[in-house]
Amino acid sequence: MNIRCARPSDLMNMQHCNLLCLPENYQMKYYFYHGLSWPQLSYVAEDEKGHIVGYVLAKMEEDGEDNRHGHITSLAVKRSHRRLGLAQKLMNQASLAMVECFQAKYVSLHVRKSNRAALNLYTNSLGFKILEIEPKYYADGEDAYSMMRDLSAFAAETKTDTQPSENMEIKSESAIISQC
Amino acid sequence: MPPSNPLPPKENALFKRILRCYEHKQYKNGLKFAKQILSNPKYAEHGETLAMKGLTLNCLGRKEEAYEYVRRGLRNDLKSPVCWHVYGLLQRSDKKYDEAIKCYRNALKWEKENIQILRDLSLLQIQMRDLEGYKDTRYQLFMLRPTQRASWIGFAMSYHLLGDYEMANSILDAFRTHQMKGPYDYEHSELLLYQNMVLAESGQYDRALQHLHKFQSQILDKLSVKETSGEYYLKLKRFKEAEVVYEDLLKRNPENVMYYEKLIEAKQLSDPDEKVAFYDVYKKEYPKAIAPRRLQLTEAQSQPVFERLVDEYLRHGLHKGIPPLFVDIRSLYEDQSKSDTIEKLVLQYIENLTKTGTFGPEPSEVKQPASALLWAYYYAAQHFDYKKDTDRALHYIDAAIEHTPTLIELFIVKGRIYKHAGDPVSAYQWVEEAQAMDTADRYVNSKCARYMLRAGHVKRAEDMCAKFTREGVPATENLNEMQCMWFQTEAAAAYQRLQQWGEALKKAHEVDRHFSEIMEDQFDFHSYCMRKMTLRSYVGLLRLEDVLRSHPFYFRCARAAISVYLRLHTHPLQDAPQTAEPDTENLAPSELKKLRNKQRKAKRKAEQESALAAQVQVKREQHHKARQQQEQGDPEAPQLDELVPDKLARAEDPLEQALKFLQPLRTLAADRIDTHLMAFEIYYRKEKPLLMLQSIKRAWRLDSGHHHLHECLVRFQRWLDESLASLHPDVATVLTTETQPMVAGRSCVQMAEQWVSGAARTSQAAALRLLQFYSLGCVEVLDSLRDGDFGPCETEISSYMEACSAKFPYALAFKPPAPAPAAEEDGADDAPPAKDPVAN
Repeated sequence: MNIRCARPSDLMNMQHCNLLCLPENYQMKYYFYHGLSWPQLSYVAEDEKGHIVGYVLAKMEEDGEDNRHGHITSLAVKRSHRRLGLAQKLMNQASLAMVECFQAKYVSLHVRKSNRAALNLYTNSLGFKILEIEPKYYADGEDAYSMMRDLSAFAAETKTDTQPSENMEIKSESAIISQC
Repeated sequence: MPPSNPLPPKENALFKRILRCYEHKQYKNGLKFAKQILSNPKYAEHGETLAMKGLTLNCLGRKEEAYEYVRRGLRNDLKSPVCWHVYGLLQRSDKKYDEAIKCYRNALKWEKENIQILRDLSLLQIQMRDLEGYKDTRYQLFMLRPTQRASWIGFAMSYHLLGDYEMANSILDAFRTHQMKGPYDYEHSELLLYQNMVLAESGQYDRALQHLHKFQSQILDKLSVKETSGEYYLKLKRFKEAEVVYEDLLKRNPENVMYYEKLIEAKQLSDPDEKVAFYDVYKKEYPKAIAPRRLQLTEAQSQPVFERLVDEYLRHGLHKGIPPLFVDIRSLYEDQSKSDTIEKLVLQYIENLTKTGTFGPEPSEVKQPASALLWAYYYAAQHFDYKKDTDRALHYIDAAIEHTPTLIELFIVKGRIYKHAGDPVSAYQWVEEAQAMDTADRYVNSKCARYMLRAGHVKRAEDMCAKFTREGVPATENLNEMQCMWFQTEAAAAYQRLQQWGEALKKAHEVDRHFSEIMEDQFDFHSYCMRKMTLRSYVGLLRLEDVLRSHPFYFRCARAAISVYLRLHTHPLQDAPQTAEPDTENLAPSELKKLRNKQRKAKRKAEQESALAAQVQVKREQHHKARQQQEQGDPEAPQLDELVPDKLARAEDPLEQALKFLQPLRTLAADRIDTHLMAFEIYYRKEKPLLMLQSIKRAWRLDSGHHHLHECLVRFQRWLDESLASLHPDVATVLTTETQPMVAGRSCVQMAEQWVSGAARTSQAAALRLLQFYSLGCVEVLDSLRDGDFGPCETEISSYMEACSAKFPYALAFKPPAPAPAAEEDGADDAPPAKDPVAN
C-alpha cells in the first residue's frame, strides 16, 4: 500500500471509494472544490494496481486569523484493507500539511455517535477529544460527536525543521491525550 | 459605442436598474422595470430592453420566452454589444458554448474593449480548449487592465498551455518582481511553485532547481519543494544530493513507495541482493512501516532468501490477524516459484497450528493465539481460490467458518469463491449472509448489491442499496444524483445479460451524462483558481478533463452501450405486443369466470402500483423544488431529456448511437484492442470499407494474434470478396494493398482453418492464460449458439453444455435451466428458489 498526497486525477477514484464505504456522499464538484482549494491536504492510500483503497478529504475552515483550523470532510478505508493502520497514517500526513501550509492550530471532524470503530480510532490512536454533541447532524437524524485534535505538537516540529519521525509523532500524541 | 436607439434619461435610468436587478438576482423587480420601459409605445421594441427581459426570464426558468425576447431584441438592434452579449449568455446557460463564443465575438465587434465580455469569452475559450483564442483574449485583457493580478496570471497561463514556457516564465517573473509585494503568504507560495512547474515542463531542470533553491524560504508547501527537488536531482544525475532528499522524505512518510524506488535509483542499485539489503536498513529504521517489508518481498529473487522473508512476513500477519494479508501480497503470485513457496509455508503453518498451536515443528517455537489458525485457513482459502482450485478453496473457507462462525470476512470470501467458480447465485447468497451480520457497514452492503447484480437480481440490488440512500427517493435516483457509477455500470451489464436492452442503455447513458457533467464542473474553476492561485492543481484539472473519458467507468459503460446498439441493429425489437382483448366468445363459462377474476386482480394491482408511483412522483417533485431553491445560482441549467428505456431500445439509428459512445474511446482508449474491434463491428454494419480497414489495422498493430481480431479479419475478407468489384477502383486498390500483409494471399476459408489449427498449438502459457477466462469464453459461445448465429442447433447446444459442465462443475451457466431470475421483474416475489446457504 502506498500513501501519497492526492492529485486531481485521484479525485474521481476517491469519490468511488467514498460511495462504496460511507453513507455521506458528494458530487464530483465538491471533490474538485477540495482538491483545487487546498491541494496539499487530501491524501490517498493505493494498492499496487493504483486503485484507491483509502483516502482523507480535508479542507481549511477560514473563520478568522486566530481560529485557523483544518477540517476532515471525509475519511474512509475499504473494509478489505482494514487493520493496516492506513487511516491513522493518512490523517497524520494531512494534519502535518495543515500546519505547514496553512498554520492550522487544530483539526476538527464529525463522527456518527454509533460509529464505535471510528470513535476508537480518533480518541485512542489519533488524540482527538470530543468537543460537543451536535444533535441530528446527519441526514438520517443521527447525532454527531464534534471532535478536535490539537496540532501544536506538529507546529513545534515544523518550526525546528526536523521532520517528525514516527516515534516523535506518537510521543506528541500521548502528550495530547494526557492533556485532555 | 452608443446603442442605435438611445433611451431618454428616465428610461435609461430604468434600464440601469434592470441590469442591477439581474446582477443581484432580483428577477421579478427586473421584469417590472422592463415592463415600465416597454409599455411606452415609443420604446416597445427597444432592443436592449427586450434582450434583458429575455435574460431575466431565463433565470426564472422560462426558457422559451427567454429565447423569443432575446432574439427579438437582437433583431431590433443588431449593432448593440449588449444584445449580442445577452444572446451569448443565454446560449452559455444552455451549454451551447460554440454558439456563445460567436455571440461574444459579435458583441466585441461593436465594443472592442468591454472587459466583461472579454472575460466571459476567455472562460468559454479555455473551457472549449481554444488555446490560441484564449491567448489572444488574455492578451487584450492584460493590455486593458495591467494592474490586475488575474490579468498577469491568465496571460502567463495562456502561453504555458500552448507550450511557450519561456514567455510564460518571463511574464511570471515580471509579475513577481513588479506586482507581488509581501507578505509571503500561501498564494505567493503557490505562485512560485507554479512558476517552477513551468520551468520544469520546459525541460530546464537546472534552472528549475536554482529557482527552487532561491525561493525555498518563501514556499510553504515543503513537501512539494522536496519532492520536486528530488526529481530534478535525479534528472540531472546528481545522485548524492537526490539521496539526501529522499532520505529526508522517508522520514516524513515511510509508507510512500515512490520514495523507496527513487532512493534505489539515486543509490544506483540494480542487483536484487543489494536491493534486499537496502530494504533491511529501512525495516530497522521504520519498524512500524509496512512498505519496506512488503517491497523487499517483491525484490527478493533467490528462493532461500524469499522463503526466509516471506515466512517472517506471513507469520507476522497471521499472528496479528491482518485480514488484507492475501490481497497485500497477491501480486507476488505472478512469480510461480514465489506462489509455490507461499503455498508450502501456509500448509505447514496449518498442519503445525492444528497439532501443536505453533507455526513450525521445532519445540522452541512460540505458541500462537487460537486466531492464528483461523487466519491461516482464511489465507489458504484465498490462495486456492486464486489458483482456481475451487474444491480446496471451499474446504479451507469452511474450516475457517467452523472455527469462527461470526467473522464477516469469511462469508465474503466464500461468496467470492463461488463467483470465480461461475455460480453467481450462491456467491451473492453468501455475501448476503455477511451483509446481515453487519448492516451498518456500507462496504459489505455495496459488495452484496454488486453480487446481486452479477446474479441478475437488479431489483434486489436496488433494495439493498436503498438501506444507505436518502429516504423518500427511489434508491436508483439517489445513486444517480450522487454519480454512483459502479452501480450504474454493473446494472447496465446486468440488464444486458437479462436482455433488457432499454434498461441497459438507460444506465449506460446515465454514466455518460455523469462524464458530461464532470466536464461542465470545470467551468467555475477557470476563474476560481486564478483567485486562489492554486494553479498547479488547476493545470492538473484541465489535463484530467482532457482525458476524462479514458476512465475505466466510461470504457465499461461505452462497451455495454455499443454492444447493445449493435445487437439492436442486428435484431431490432418487434413492435410492442398488442394487448388485445382475448376472444371471450368461445370460452366456457367457468374459464370466462377465471379470466374475469384474473383481470380484476391485475387491475387492482395496477391501481395500487400507479397510486404508489404517483406518491413517488410527488415526493420527487418536492425534492426537485427543494433542490432548485438551494441551487439558485443556476436555475437556468438546461433540462436534459428523460431517459426512457423503451424509447432508447427503439432508437432509429442504433449504429449512430453506438458511434457516439465509441468516439471518445478512439483517442482515449486507443491502446485497447477492444476499442478497434468495436469500431470494426460498427463500420462493418455501416459498410464503410476504409474505416473497417483502419480499425482492423489498429487492432493488428496492438495484438496480431488476438482471437476476436482474426474472426473480424475473416469476415472483412469475405465482405471484400463480395463487394470489392463494386467499389471505386482507387479504394479497391488501397484495400487490397493494405490488407495484403495481414491476409497474405489466403482465402477466408484458409485463414479460418489456419487460425483454428494454430490456436490448438498455442504455447502452454497462453493456454493457461486463456483458461482463466475460459468459462467466460464458453458462456459467450453458448450465447452465440442460442442467438441462432449458426442457425438452429438444439443438439449441439445441449452437448456443448454437457461438455462445459464437466469442465466447470460449479458454473451455473452450463446447468440445465432453473427458473429464470428474470422472473423478478413481473412477480411479487422475485426470489429464485433459495438454496439454504447453511445446508450447502
